[in-house]
Amino acid sequence: MDKISLILNIIILLISPFFVIGIIKKTKAFFAGRKGVSIFQPLYDFIKLLKKGSVISNSTSFIYRIAPVVVFITTVTAGLFAPLCANCSIIGTCGAFVIFCYILGLSKFFALISAMDCASSFEGMGASREACFTTIVEPAFFIILASIIALSSNSTFQNLNSIVEYAGNFGVLIIVLAVISIFIMLLTECSRVPVDDPTTHLELTMIHEVMILDNSGVDLALLTYSAGIKMVILASLIINLILPSSLDFTASCVAYFILLGLIGVIIGTIESAIARFRMSHVFEFVFLMSSFALVIASLTAVKIYGV
Amino acid sequence: MENYFIGIILLFFGAIFSLFFKKRKIEFITICSITASIFTIQNAIKVFIEGTKEISFNLGTIFQTVRFEMDYLGAFFVLFISVMSTLAVIYSKGYLKPYLEKGKDLSAHCVFLPLLSASMLLVATCFNGLFFLILWEMMSLSSFFLVIFEHEKKEVLKAGLKYLVFMHISVIFIILLFALLINNSSSLDFAQFREILADNPVLSNVVFMLGFIGFGIKAGFVPFHNWLSEAHPCAPSHVSGIMSGVMIKTGIYGILRIISLMTVFNPQIGYFVLIISVISALYGVIYAIGQHDLKKLLAYHSIENIGIIGLGLGLGLLGLAYNQNFVALLGFSGAILHILNHSIFKELLFLGAGSVYIKTHTRDIEILGGLIKKMPYTSILFLTGAVAICGLPPFNGFISEFLIYFSMLKGLSVDNIFMFLTMLLGLSGLALVGTLAILCFTKAFSIVFLGEARSENAKNVQCDNGISMILPMGILGCLCLLIGVFPAIIFNFILKITSIFVNVEQTFEIIPILQIISTTALCIIGAVMVLSIIKFKFEKRVENFETWGCGYNKVSEKMQYSASSYAQPFTSMIKPLFKKISDIKKPKTIFPKEAHFEQHIEDVEEVYFIKPVLNSIENFLTKFEKLQNGNIQQYIMYGLIFLIIAIIGVVTVG
Repeated sequence: MDKISLILNIIILLISPFFVIGIIKKTKAFFAGRKGVSIFQPLYDFIKLLKKGSVISNSTSFIYRIAPVVVFITTVTAGLFAPLCANCSIIGTCGAFVIFCYILGLSKFFALISAMDCASSFEGMGASREACFTTIVEPAFFIILASIIALSSNSTFQNLNSIVEYAGNFGVLIIVLAVISIFIMLLTECSRVPVDDPTTHLELTMIHEVMILDNSGVDLALLTYSAGIKMVILASLIINLILPSSLDFTASCVAYFILLGLIGVIIGTIESAIARFRMSHVFEFVFLMSSFALVIASLTAVKIYGV
Repeated sequence: MENYFIGIILLFFGAIFSLFFKKRKIEFITICSITASIFTIQNAIKVFIEGTKEISFNLGTIFQTVRFEMDYLGAFFVLFISVMSTLAVIYSKGYLKPYLEKGKDLSAHCVFLPLLSASMLLVATCFNGLFFLILWEMMSLSSFFLVIFEHEKKEVLKAGLKYLVFMHISVIFIILLFALLINNSSSLDFAQFREILADNPVLSNVVFMLGFIGFGIKAGFVPFHNWLSEAHPCAPSHVSGIMSGVMIKTGIYGILRIISLMTVFNPQIGYFVLIISVISALYGVIYAIGQHDLKKLLAYHSIENIGIIGLGLGLGLLGLAYNQNFVALLGFSGAILHILNHSIFKELLFLGAGSVYIKTHTRDIEILGGLIKKMPYTSILFLTGAVAICGLPPFNGFISEFLIYFSMLKGLSVDNIFMFLTMLLGLSGLALVGTLAILCFTKAFSIVFLGEARSENAKNVQCDNGISMILPMGILGCLCLLIGVFPAIIFNFILKITSIFVNVEQTFEIIPILQIISTTALCIIGAVMVLSIIKFKFEKRVENFETWGCGYNKVSEKMQYSASSYAQPFTSMIKPLFKKISDIKKPKTIFPKEAHFEQHIEDVEEVYFIKPVLNSIENFLTKFEKLQNGNIQQYIMYGLIFLIIAIIGVVTVG
């Protein structure tokens, strides 16, 4: 990959999370009839938190102190393997999506044990739910990626949309389904409405927000930043599925940024339009992704083997 | 081969002469094991440099020529059996100290511990069918005596007997297997077996199936896993470490040895192995999530990991059957590397669990907590093992799982719909197993080591264990990290072993990826260190305060999230797969006094298959109870009846 796209990708990975979250907030403010904060506010918040001191629970150990760093580093590293702008990833190797998922797994592992380290019942509740949702999302994600690889015999986790060339109309159908299911994955993994409400005031109903209830200062800054990075990575996956590979570099970059903003607007709109589901319904919602994944797998089987 | 036998003889020597020591038994067998392992390891390394070595003895007409051959596969097993069992023996000194102080007799334990290592080492090199069976039996029996270390406890004895029964069911199949081979080839030697299997697909399939069931019982594939989850928790921790880390791998060795003898491969066998393995992996990890007994949880994870190893084997077999060399290569390498990896981190975790048990006298994780502050080394090492067993980078579990994933991704391109669907099953199954392992080990680690102590047992712990217990765990932890950070080196080593099964010349594609993984792992470790230092150095004022109780300020350690509640969303999601046994006493009235909650999860196979079968056998046999009534006259009558029948028989036939 050339230097320009490398630098561009690194900038996207590190800077855009603030603005995507800013756009979501702005959209929600628009629907609520407020003026809303500037879209630079998440960035200001981040800088403000970095400057602050922190309060640490007496029950915690060093795990709690290093976990935010591990979560941040692993999320960024995972981002290096994911396709971002212009349909290519910073490290594009065969089987990259397995490495991607497992590095994110490491990040999740530390987020979970850091939440459990506070000896708080609320944080444990969030951790337990988060761990449970992952078990539904991950296998479905692997089925989707495996189907795409089987169609295009390209396991580099780049040019995901090239299956349209191999599979024609079937490819379009598969892409539509894959986009929907990865969007569900995004809502689940990044804890957005209707799975989780990041702005709720009741700890009992939170998932991700309650896991970082006791974090403050630099730790909180790193954790919210990593959550933003993760959202951008997953949003980029969706964009890469949609954007045709025939676009030239500048056009695809412009389209990428427009779509990234659009995804922010969509998430904001969903959050303004509906409330979060009851916990039992959340499972059903997340399982939707598994069913989509199975449909994608059967479509792939039909396409390749013509059963 | 001489050095190898010097090592074996040293182990036997240690076993016998430990009886003459009054006080320093454990030290004596430790020295014997260390010296023996130096000899055997040296011999195994020589095999990797110079090639296969062998030696034969002529043992008369029954055994004919007994041949011990150390090929790459055997040398690999000898290597890790030596290392792992020696580390466990070193650990045993600290672990057995409290028992010694209580005046427990360790004679039997000290005899069977070296005997188990010796028999495992011999099994891995023996190429004589009959002698193999004897060694196999010796291994099962010595491990049985090690399991019933605390035989005064009823449940230990029960678990030990169950283990013994299962091992003998396994031996029946292995005897059948060898009987078939010996009968067909009229020889006891493995080399002869290879010749008769060469172009006989039917015999190959029958032999493989018998071997898979026989050795699979030892390895713990579902549905033959039942002994594993009971015998491992009851044994002393270093023995559980050896059993789970090394001994169940001899079952895998048996399966691999049969594959190495076969030349024709049927895809159906590959599918069968792969599907059984995915089921085993899922079954193991799902039950592990429901367990609150730390060692039982680890035992169920052994079933999961055996499933992952089997997945690699299944891929290897499918690759051979469909002539996909690369798929087979990655599958076998992944399986063999996972054998090594699993033995490292599982032994580490069992030793960690043992350290916790010695300090807190309980295996129930619900009453532990907060141990990280008092046992920092044990905790960090347990965390290393936990991250490694979840298959997360930068540790070793990831490397073998990645090889298996890559093999499945390559398998997707085989033009066969069954292959495609099986690969999807494998991919999603392995992904599910990975996330469930994360769920399970975040639970185990955080409930045991993090938060606040939940009972007096955990509160009374003063300090960490001594060096003899920390050192072996430290070595294992370092091995986990080293393999995870330098995978290309270990992969080249594993390739030598894989060369027994497949042609290993086309590996160009995987090495660069392993190098990328290695760089990534190093970067993650480095970046975490640098950023942590920056953070701790430049962070403003840090205050300590109570955990935020959401406005409630009488927070107690009882209010922490417990293991059952952590697993609850998942266990309630897959309710039909479990049989839950709950003991609930709800708080009643306005001023509630007593309340109680306890939940156990029972193995479905145990409840719906093993127990009914055993009950019906027992019902049938109790009908004959009257025969044994203590009346001597009647017993004499039985003898008389038998004699009459025998005489009639002889007369009529003769």
